[in-house]
Amino acid sequence: MFSKFNKRVDAIFLDKNSSDFNISESVNVILSPSLYWVKKVSLPVKRLRDVKGLMESLFEDILPNGVYSYFAYKRDDDFYIFAYEDKLVIDALRNKGITSSQVNNVYFAQSEFSHVTEPIKINETQTLYEKDEILVVVPSTWVSNAQEMDLKDLTLSKNSVALKQFSHLVNDKSLYALGATGLLLLALIASEYFITLQKTSSISSAKDEVFAQRGLQSTMFQNRALLKDYSGTHERQTKLRLYASKILNLKLEKDVYLSLVELKAQKLKVEFIGVKKSDELNIIKELKSQNAQFESTLKDERLRLEIAL
Amino acid sequence: MNRVNPIHVGVLLVALLAFFGLQLSIAKEDLKNEQFLYQETLGLATQLQGLTVAYGDKNAVKKSIETLLNNSSLKSANIERKTTASGIVLASNGLDKTALNFLMSKVLNGSYNVASLEIKRIDDKRASLKMEIKW
Repeated sequence: MFSKFNKRVDAIFLDKNSSDFNISESVNVILSPSLYWVKKVSLPVKRLRDVKGLMESLFEDILPNGVYSYFAYKRDDDFYIFAYEDKLVIDALRNKGITSSQVNNVYFAQSEFSHVTEPIKINETQTLYEKDEILVVVPSTWVSNAQEMDLKDLTLSKNSVALKQFSHLVNDKSLYALGATGLLLLALIASEYFITLQKTSSISSAKDEVFAQRGLQSTMFQNRALLKDYSGTHERQTKLRLYASKILNLKLEKDVYLSLVELKAQKLKVEFIGVKKSDELNIIKELKSQNAQFESTLKDERLRLEIAL
Repeated sequence: MNRVNPIHVGVLLVALLAFFGLQLSIAKEDLKNEQFLYQETLGLATQLQGLTVAYGDKNAVKKSIETLLNNSSLKSANIERKTTASGIVLASNGLDKTALNFLMSKVLNGSYNVASLEIKRIDDKRASLKMEIKW
């Protein structure tokens, strides 16, 4: 049963049989023994951290199937070791109308009521009873001198646990492994990012050096325009030499001769005199073999060629 | 109570991974562009250097033409030369066949920017010439 002690509660006692509880602020939750397993053991170790590695094995073969979290504290020379199911507790809280965000800390009845020697009444039917220094829930009819539970003046110990909301889905090891993998990936991507930035910067510097060493214009736009201009010149000059060479090496008939070679406005004009139709065909054939674009006119044995460069 | 939701952590991690992944992708693209631009600059510089030496070096072209015109084959041809800011104009009203052949073979085999040219036959042995070479 769930005990509601006052409207503004600082601590509540949570049992599987608790009734619904309406709270508006965060509370500390004390778990009933019905929500955890506890063992009091005497171990040949002194420090609590040495016990932590052994907790799971101490409950081996006792616990029903489930995903358990463990907790331990030392009292005198003995260790009190707890096993609890986070999901079971969270479900119990949810069923009683308490959300995870309303839970401040979670304690065990064993640690919080250890100072009480008399049985403590949880409700009309259930009572907390200590047997061999372990608190258990017994029917109220078994004990006659039970006290009322008073949480108002209760000073909570430091033995609290944090519930893991998703422990039933992913265990801690997997979570850490996933997190570590993610962080590693993040580190790899981040380092690759900075290496890439560094590479970009060094290539940019090398490019600036090329500009300075080769005396290029300040912008690529200007350089491209200049190259286009020079390339055009080079192309025209190459064509001029090619066609001039072809024309000057033509095998002309005895009475045919070259009377004019003129280069103007990117056009090469050539004039032959004494040209007959058969001569014209031979000359045109030679020019066509060079893929030249030209126009020809033959008039009064005067052949005029106009070749585009 | 442990309120850190692994799903939130996972989403944050995935978001961070996606963010850095995107940044990395942008940086890689920038690197690729920079590499391309560097190669283009290098190629362009090499081409420009070669073409500038061939067509744009005023002093080299001027010196080369002077050397050519001072050749014994052309000295007697009395070729007129007129230098302008953008080039040089050569002209002759009676260039003999040998001198013309020599001059044209040197010009056409050299890397000169011949901007305009006019060769007119006068008779079997002579021709007139007007040629502008630019730099």
